[in-house]
Amino acid sequence: MQDIGVSGAGGDQETADKWEVQLRKGCIELAILAALWHEKLYGLEILRRLESDSDLIVSEGTVYPLLSRLKALGWVKSEWVESDAGHPRKYYALTQTGRKRALDMAAMWARFSSSMSKLLAPLGKGTK
Amino acid sequence: MTMSDDAQHRMEAYLGRLRQRLRGLNDHDAREIVEELRSHIKDKAGASGEVSSVGVDAALAALGSPEELASQYMTDHLLARAEVSRSPVRILESLFRWASLSLAGFLVLLTSLVGYFLGIVFILVAALKSFHPRTAGVWVLPDGADEFMISIRLGFGTAPPAGKEVLGWWIIPIGVGAGCALVMLTTRFAIWCVRQYRTSRALPPC
Repeated sequence: MQDIGVSGAGGDQETADKWEVQLRKGCIELAILAALWHEKLYGLEILRRLESDSDLIVSEGTVYPLLSRLKALGWVKSEWVESDAGHPRKYYALTQTGRKRALDMAAMWARFSSSMSKLLAPLGKGTK
Repeated sequence: MTMSDDAQHRMEAYLGRLRQRLRGLNDHDAREIVEELRSHIKDKAGASGEVSSVGVDAALAALGSPEELASQYMTDHLLARAEVSRSPVRILESLFRWASLSLAGFLVLLTSLVGYFLGIVFILVAALKSFHPRTAGVWVLPDGADEFMISIRLGFGTAPPAGKEVLGWWIIPIGVGAGCALVMLTTRFAIWCVRQYRTSRALPPC
């Protein structure tokens, strides 16, 4: 995680940390759906994709239960595929519902992000 | 890929503890979770070709404790079910599972059971009023010298001798209305509680 650079009381730092955790956590669902956009992947591949293509550092203990939840919601489907490693792997792929959901979430994200950028513009000038 | 006995033993001990904590889920789902994590541990620990105990320990540490992991699965499972289902049967099934995990879940289950029970009694009284016009309904019965108690009677058996039935035929619309409202409110309450539980839980580090 990047240093948030909050100077002040320990309580403030803690609040800022919690906020960042919440923010990241809120993005994971969309990040997973996006990682599966082009191809089916198994759990460890999804984790590596999130780490390499984004700044999202996701714990392994978070991703697997989340994948199970996305499956229960009908956004992803799964299948077991035999591998060269000698054991089967559980691959995930987007369903039609998942695809639609990902598009909706991405559109929401774009709107949210552009309106936040406008609001935050004066803060950027202030730190320079 | 080869795996030392010690590594195998450590992995199975972890998965065994996890499996035990997933006992609220159905057998198929629990087995899928355990198999997926077994596959993950082997991939993670065996990147170099051989699965060592050190590699397995590192993979297990990254997953967190089996108890915490199982609890995430259970809660996610409850929430997903509550979100897609409005059926009281499904919700009660989920609440029974939650109740096996925590005191809060037990209290929510207890409240919901009372809510659903009263709702169903109201609807039954309304339905049975046509068959037992003289006995079914809401009765006020003397209880001691100055005390009264209110009794909702389905109308089987004889009318209580000193009691007075208060609503008459009004019990039909009132019973159906109050019964449906209670069932609906209880369902909303249960879903709300499940959501609160989920959001109030400490977020795992991302």
